[in-house]
Amino acid sequence: MKLFSTQIVVPVDSNSVLQGALEVKHVLEEMIGTYNLGSQVSVVETGALGIYDQGVVLAVFPDDVYYGGVKPVDVQEIVTEHLLKGRVVSRLVIDRNLSNRRLVEKETGKSQQKIVLRNAGLIDPQSIDEYIARDGYGALAKALAMQPGEVIQILTDSKLQGRGGAGFPTGLKWGMVAKEQSDEKYIVCNADEGEPGTFKDRLILEGDPHSIVEAMTIAGYATGAHVGIAYVRGEYFMSIARLKKAIKDATEYGLLGKDVLGTGFQFDIEVYRGGGAYVCGEEFALLESIENRRGEPRNKPPFPPQQGLFGKPTVVNNVETFANVPPILLNGSDWFKSFGTPSSAGTKVFSLSGDIVNRGIVEAPLGVTLRELIYDFGGGVKGGKHIGFIQTGGSAGTVLTDKFLDVPLDFASMKTNNVSIGSGVILVASEDVPLLPFLAEVAHFFWHESCGKCTPCREGTLQVKTIMDTLVNRTADPASLQRLGKLLNTLNDTSFCGLGQAAPLAFESALRNFPEAFDRALAESHVPEACQEEG
Amino acid sequence: MELDNVTRPAGQAQPLSDEDKRFLGELVETNRTEHHGRVSYMDIMFELEHHYGNSLPGEVLGEVARLVGAPASQLNGFVTFYTMLSTEPRGQHVIRVCTSGPCHVTGAPSIVSELKRLLGVELGETTSDGMFTLEASSCLGICGVSPALMIDDDAYGNLTSGDLPRILAAKRVGGAQ
Ligand SMILES: Cc1cc2nc3c(=O)[nH]c(=O)nc-3n(C[C@H](O)[C@H](O)[C@H](O)COP(=O)(O)O)c2cc1C
Ligand code: SF4
Ligand code: FES
Ligand code: FES
Repeated sequence: MKLFSTQIVVPVDSNSVLQGALEVKHVLEEMIGTYNLGSQVSVVETGALGIYDQGVVLAVFPDDVYYGGVKPVDVQEIVTEHLLKGRVVSRLVIDRNLSNRRLVEKETGKSQQKIVLRNAGLIDPQSIDEYIARDGYGALAKALAMQPGEVIQILTDSKLQGRGGAGFPTGLKWGMVAKEQSDEKYIVCNADEGEPGTFKDRLILEGDPHSIVEAMTIAGYATGAHVGIAYVRGEYFMSIARLKKAIKDATEYGLLGKDVLGTGFQFDIEVYRGGGAYVCGEEFALLESIENRRGEPRNKPPFPPQQGLFGKPTVVNNVETFANVPPILLNGSDWFKSFGTPSSAGTKVFSLSGDIVNRGIVEAPLGVTLRELIYDFGGGVKGGKHIGFIQTGGSAGTVLTDKFLDVPLDFASMKTNNVSIGSGVILVASEDVPLLPFLAEVAHFFWHESCGKCTPCREGTLQVKTIMDTLVNRTADPASLQRLGKLLNTLNDTSFCGLGQAAPLAFESALRNFPEAFDRALAESHVPEACQEEG
Repeated sequence: MELDNVTRPAGQAQPLSDEDKRFLGELVETNRTEHHGRVSYMDIMFELEHHYGNSLPGEVLGEVARLVGAPASQLNGFVTFYTMLSTEPRGQHVIRVCTSGPCHVTGAPSIVSELKRLLGVELGETTSDGMFTLEASSCLGICGVSPALMIDDDAYGNLTSGDLPRILAAKRVGGAQ
């Protein structure tokens, strides 16, 4: 029978809730009751599908029909037409390829495999049983049957690099913690996600929280740690709730706690919240924050693997890094290396934002080009416009012209082509967006987020902001570009932490790629008289 | 002044009631249990902001310091660092409008100026009826639906200037959504 075991999948994530997903789901459940379809149709809540500009989306399986822009008033029609009569409501149908293409990385012919987002949008993230049904916790079981050193060896061989921005080899990091002698060690998941334009970690936590619980537990076993802490940015209410539920369910199933899977290994995870400070994404600032202090970075070395949380050896990894771990253990390091480029194995989850037709999340093999991301996955620039500029990597990332569209993006592309990949931000601005006010906003961001601990960054970011403001207002003095260049070098060379060191990247790359914008601002500038007198 | 009944004047010490003290004691203990013997100041501060109208009164911080066994200055240093926390009185609803790159590119500047106009305040200020505090924020992590803002715990995305009166009116008449 047609109706038997029909599933309607409703993505419920913070973006779809904004667009009314909960109301739609509520009406849907009511209607299913009204028409007595309860035994044949199940409504399944899932994480984000990665489709952002199609309103509330419903997917009907096994029919494989995707509806977009669904409003509560449309639900009755879907129920009576599609579910009862088997007639697809064509006016609401959206291109299914959109969702598949945007999640599956087959464009480049390199792979059809989802790694990080393997479950997002396919399972009910609140159901541990569904996670387990898709090999969930299988990697943990496999790891527990190995020696810790073997687990680390697989990760090292896989060449997995950190996805939080710095690209540090994960196996190496775990190995450093494993070899420390200490009664206490910690596994910390960095879910502070503050880099403007990044929203992938939220999608992973909302869509597949168990993958993080599983990976942190594996890290604990591999390194000899018994406590995990996830530090989640304060605004991510749904991420926090789902992670806490995942931890609770895993504990009840014996996958966390005193005796993980009956092996005698003990591991527990706690959730801490961020308070709205970008610098707390920096690993030491984050650890300070967990220790109930102001989020100010510490001196390096020693690094967290030697002296991290409470002075003990600590693994700090990004959410996406962790999400890669279970599939690597299940499928092996060679499998993982079959995706990506020689310098960079695996996939990357990119966050597409700005003037782009399909904003959202895309997972693609490393080595994917900006052109593929923006045009194939992203559907191009809104309104058929031209690209004005692209910022990759985040606010602490490079500002590019469309000449860079064919550069392959991987962890080496900063060195080879001056294109940063950072946390995977792809921000597109159309030709209508003026560059300098945007850069002034970026300068404002760094000035605002500087923690104030060291002078170069505290004062330097203010100076950069001031110069950018004068360029925007056309009151820049003739020497300002020279001063800006010097300032950026000083920031880069002498700042205490990565925030101040990376802040210049946007400006340096903009100066290199868009010199005419700066020259024009300078040519059009009139220095106010009061300033002229000073020289 | 008419705002006295809605916002608490800064720094005006009010002795804590027994009920306050009981509430704070339980809050800290619950948190201590959740974190296996440690506490998370952040969790506690978020609870306090909910309880005490979006800001952290000095006398409450003093009592919490006593309960966790830390100097009050340490707590003060902590709360003044994080933008989501405030020791200054704020309105019933806190609007945090994102101004970062992706929101900027898609129209945040006009959202900010329209909010200022509708509310009659500058960034960082509270409306005279004590209803709204308007704050600029760095990226809120919902750039997929930029330009975006949050009011209290609710997020709003794909904003146009035309949406704002409706959003504010809904908040004004009360409750979430
Ligand atoms: C200012 C600043 C902000 C950062 N923000 C984040 C962040 O939001 N999330 C993250 O995972 N890493 C962030 N990092 C990088 C972390 O310091 C650290 O390198 C990372 O969490 C390590 O994990 P990974 O090796 O898995 O990437 C930031 C670094 C700096 C300097
Ligand atoms: S570089 Fe900036 S953020 Fe980092 S320690 Fe110095 S002032 Fe703080
Ligand atoms: S040494 Fe840090 S501010 Fe002077
Ligand atoms: S830039 Fe505004 S929400 Fe991210």
